Amino acid sequence: MKCNQLAIILFFTLFFLKANAQEFKLGKVSIEELQEKVNPKDTSAVAAILFKKGETRCEYSNGVGFTVITKVALRIKIYKKEGYDWANQQVNFVKVSFFKETVDFTDAITYNLVGGKIEKTKLKGEGEFEENIDKFLSKKKITMPNVKVGSVIEYEYTIKSPNVGSFKDFDFQTNIPVNYVEYTTYIPDYFSFTNRFKGFITPRVISDKKNREIVMVDKEIIVGQGTKFSERKIFYQETKTSYIVENLPALKDEVYVNNVNNYAVSLSQELSTTKFPDEPLKMISADWNSVVKSIYEFDNFGPELNKTGYFEEDMKNVIAGLSTPEEKITALLNYVKTTVKWNDYYGYSCNDGVKKAYKEKTGNIAEINLMLTAMLRYSGLTANPVLVSTRSNGIAIFPNRTAFNYVIAAVETPNGLILLDASDKFSMPNILPFRALNWMGRLIRKDGTSEEVDLMPKVVSNNTVMMNYSVDVNGQIAGKLRRQRTNHNAMIYRINTDNIKEETYLEKLENENEKIEIKDYSRANEKELNLPVSETFSFSGANLCEGIGGKIYINPLLFFSQQQNPFKQENREYPIDYGFPFLDKYSINIQIPEGYKVETLPSPAVLNMQDNLGSFKFMTNLSENTIQLVITNQINTAIISSEYYSMLKEYYQGMVAKENEKIVLTKI
Amino acid sequence: MQFKFTCFLLLFSSTLLFAQKSEYNTISIADSLKENANAIVRLNQIDITISSQRNMNIMTKRVVTVLNEKGIGEIEATEYYSKTSSVKNIEASVFDGLGIEIKKIKRKDFKDQSAVSGSTLFSDDRIIYLDYTPTQYPFTIIYESEVESSNTAFIPQWYPLSDYFVSIEKSILNVNYPDNLGFKKMESNFSNFKINKTIDSSTQLSYTATNITAQKEEDYSPVFNTIFPKVMMGLENFHLENVDGTAKTWSGFGQWYSEKILSGTTELSEETKLKMKALVGDEKDPIKKAKLIYNYVQQKSRYVNISIGIGGWKPMLAADVDRLGYGDCKALTNYTKALLNAVDVPSYNTILYGSSRKRNIEPDFVSMQGNHMILSIPNGDNYIWLECTSQDTPFGYQGTFTDDRDVLIMKPDGGEIVRTKIYQDKDNTQISKGKFSLSQTGDFLGKIIIVSEGSQYNQKAAIENFQPTDKEAHYKKYWDNINNLKIDKITFTNDKENISFTENAEISAVNYGSISGNKIMFVVNGYNQITGNVKRIRNRKNPFEIQRGYADGDEIEISLPSGFSIEFLPSNFELKTKFGEYKTEIIKKDATNLVYKRTMFLKKGLYSSKEYDEYRLFIEQISRNDNAKIILTKNI
Repeated sequence: MKCNQLAIILFFTLFFLKANAQEFKLGKVSIEELQEKVNPKDTSAVAAILFKKGETRCEYSNGVGFTVITKVALRIKIYKKEGYDWANQQVNFVKVSFFKETVDFTDAITYNLVGGKIEKTKLKGEGEFEENIDKFLSKKKITMPNVKVGSVIEYEYTIKSPNVGSFKDFDFQTNIPVNYVEYTTYIPDYFSFTNRFKGFITPRVISDKKNREIVMVDKEIIVGQGTKFSERKIFYQETKTSYIVENLPALKDEVYVNNVNNYAVSLSQELSTTKFPDEPLKMISADWNSVVKSIYEFDNFGPELNKTGYFEEDMKNVIAGLSTPEEKITALLNYVKTTVKWNDYYGYSCNDGVKKAYKEKTGNIAEINLMLTAMLRYSGLTANPVLVSTRSNGIAIFPNRTAFNYVIAAVETPNGLILLDASDKFSMPNILPFRALNWMGRLIRKDGTSEEVDLMPKVVSNNTVMMNYSVDVNGQIAGKLRRQRTNHNAMIYRINTDNIKEETYLEKLENENEKIEIKDYSRANEKELNLPVSETFSFSGANLCEGIGGKIYINPLLFFSQQQNPFKQENREYPIDYGFPFLDKYSINIQIPEGYKVETLPSPAVLNMQDNLGSFKFMTNLSENTIQLVITNQINTAIISSEYYSMLKEYYQGMVAKENEKIVLTKI
Repeated sequence: MQFKFTCFLLLFSSTLLFAQKSEYNTISIADSLKENANAIVRLNQIDITISSQRNMNIMTKRVVTVLNEKGIGEIEATEYYSKTSSVKNIEASVFDGLGIEIKKIKRKDFKDQSAVSGSTLFSDDRIIYLDYTPTQYPFTIIYESEVESSNTAFIPQWYPLSDYFVSIEKSILNVNYPDNLGFKKMESNFSNFKINKTIDSSTQLSYTATNITAQKEEDYSPVFNTIFPKVMMGLENFHLENVDGTAKTWSGFGQWYSEKILSGTTELSEETKLKMKALVGDEKDPIKKAKLIYNYVQQKSRYVNISIGIGGWKPMLAADVDRLGYGDCKALTNYTKALLNAVDVPSYNTILYGSSRKRNIEPDFVSMQGNHMILSIPNGDNYIWLECTSQDTPFGYQGTFTDDRDVLIMKPDGGEIVRTKIYQDKDNTQISKGKFSLSQTGDFLGKIIIVSEGSQYNQKAAIENFQPTDKEAHYKKYWDNINNLKIDKITFTNDKENISFTENAEISAVNYGSISGNKIMFVVNGYNQITGNVKRIRNRKNPFEIQRGYADGDEIEISLPSGFSIEFLPSNFELKTKFGEYKTEIIKKDATNLVYKRTMFLKKGLYSSKEYDEYRLFIEQISRNDNAKIILTKNI
């Protein structure tokens, strides 16, 4: 039964591929394609990929071993001048003696329609460039000749790489529409790969097996008889897999998106197991556990984590007299933060090693946080590294080693896991730098086992403002305010005010807040990271309320009111990512002038989003000459799914309208 | 025991002395130099030795104390090199606040990379730079380098003060040169700064600048190099990428450029020449011919920057551009010139600084200057200027990238400095005509036609080619005073002949008017508000400049919801100052129909620092009046 099914699928597959084979071949540009003025599915497209066809093979050659050969052929239509960038192409490759990749462009031709006839212009050497970016990386670039509005461009490039470990990512989707993409891999049964798809559309997958052979040439030198060659054949099976997607829309960036590339349709593949003849099956990575284990066994990871000699002597002073886990965590985090500075390099594996980093006082992410983990362990705590993919790296969805690019430390305590990152001077236990807040991480224990860890903050970050002000008959406002920020809000504030001179900061604060004048400014707990950071000042301003026709109109929040709905787009595909849950709270007391009374007071209001995602409260109270208001906006989760977008947009619309309602005062 | 201990101490202190640069500890820095500074240049000594027309050696010693993260950029441990220049030495060492050495950085620890930037597709140029992660602040870096080059066409300009928020303890320039190469120099903006010229002879020039305090960056300041001291230097006999050159006069420099760099680059095939002749047909008027050719170039070519060897200075052959359809500014300018030549229209390569902040070719200093090339066509006593890298710019339009500045025209018989087109303030117009209605619930529904000309055309014409999301974003920003804005329809008319761009928009917005009880309050000027972003600056030091003026006119019909009566109408307003004029007027046609008229005229000009606050108040008054509201009360 199973066998039959396979046959049917295979039959279908062959039929299908054959039916399409004619259309998607370089050199067969049609007059219709050249005549097309706009993309029929997206008239705003500046260009479109008419087809993209890629294939990756593993080929064996004597003395070299397996080489990964990737060929990609493209046909691109240019609709508008803004699409000219598509006439320039580049491919990066690695060029070092022990790991040498090559890139070649072939069949690069520009097609134009001239007087009803197809005119071809071939790319020659003058339009091809190779640039050495640095010691490791090079770039091959081409710029196509004779490109005009309406041109069709074709080219193919071939990348040869010794890296069987992971294939280059294959992108199906990009920022222009793609009509047809087909990617085929030919993989010998010696290797098995883990596939990782991204995006909202999953390609159609078709696979097939074939017998292949390798001819091995053995060289034997026999004294007196010269060199003797002998051949032997090795047979193996090869799996051909095709991934096909049609009519992909252009990828468009939106506001408040974590990283738009998380949503582009693409495929990454990574070697998970190898099985060579006469050798046992070798796991490289297949599931998270084996991925993590192979990372753990890296020279630049596990062994680095186990080194302690370099810090033991200093450690005695650092943790002397400390007994509770909290004290130790704080002391060690501060110690690493102050002694080793981050050199801006990411990575979960060490570059120069923890020892050198400690000595030179500078290191990459792995060196800093593995060192921290080792110290935490040395102090007697149960500490482990947690692999992370940063926001710019995208979300780690599928098990493979390249899914991660960052590592932090975690301490197990009776009250749960405490996450630590010593690469940022303002980070705190469970308050990680924004770059590391990206869905899930992977914790690795000493025995190599691992588990998923939620990186998104659960604790609410507050922004609390207390403001007392009075209004005079001329519409002048003078008052005092105190603003307090906690957790992530405090961290962001500390980063933004770090090294900013007070005068510069106040100038900015005055200018951004309706040009108020600020006096008696003070700040507290700037450096005391475990306490909320607060600022207090007196302010006065002439532009804060309006006197019109003998009445005074006050926007109670003054410069704190949100003027606009941040959500402007009609629809949204991507989740809304705030980074952390938060609460904005404003407690306001307004003193109205003698001889005036309140004519209109905005009515109280409450907006609740469904599923307890958030709520907005607007409370007012009038007693004699004082108006009291309490206004809160609370978002309870770091990430809101796009299904809730229209609700969220409405919520903000209601909130903005309410915040901009005016208190009206009239003369008694 | 006692003895041993002393011995150890001595040994210790002597090693300490060895690795200590006590003159560079941070305690000795004067407080005045720390004020507003992120970094302090303790010493910047540049020794330039020109040994012949084809050899220049530049030694740099730079000692910088960095006070905080923002000062890292002032280390400037960076050199460029190419096939005709080499970095002979580059090294650095780092000292802590006490002046104790904490790190030595050798050449191999510098990053060595290709220097290809954004718009360049390929270049031979390379960059070698220090990528240092500070482990503490403050710290001091001593950086030393030596670069040798066969190009003597560009002697680096000397800026004793190189940036904002950095102070200078000492800056020294020493230049040595043979007396037969015609070394020349030009000093600018020396007043108010302590700069000593210590030597000025036929073979030597030296300056020392001391104790320059850090300058704050202030909005609307003129371009940096027009307010802070600089020395330009050059040779009358120089060398550029294997070509000797002369620059005694602009005329002579132009001749050299035409003969040595440009000659032979404008050859075209007979076929192309015939094609151009056919294209212009019987047209006799040179300007009309040029228009046809320019349009042809815009359709055919695109901008790609490739700079290899002298390609950085010499245009690609016109015949190659003809075949490939791409090139950089020089290549496309030269190509257009070649095509114009084929139909007997004379035109000249023109060198300038391309930037929306106007910058002149220094007319009094004959030397290689500029970063861009356009084409000029003589038209009576004037010129028509062609931007050949753009596929959209109307014929002869200069926008804001090349307008109103001194440029160098390369005529075959010599160079000449000319001013490019000035767009007069009154001609930079934006005329809006439209209407909107307000519903009983405060919702906005409106139509408007906006016509932009002069330099305002430049900002607007690009919108036409925006992607839909960018277009939407543009209007949501332009009308950011209208909350919940929805663009219902938008069309454009780009009249390139008359250089006039028309936007025709239909928009709507809920809750435009805010409702309090039985009143609706809304801003009269819905379509064209100045939201007043002229910053307050405490103790401004620099003069301020309005680079381009403009004239806006608005005439908007407003229809009010029925069932409401007007409780308050803002009064008419007029303002006349040296910066410009502003006037608004509301005409009541009947109970529910108003007409709002607004004119705003801003003059370009350079003003003193004292006048800045006056300007800020001028804009603030406008901004406040632009926000004037009407109040309606529901009829009971």
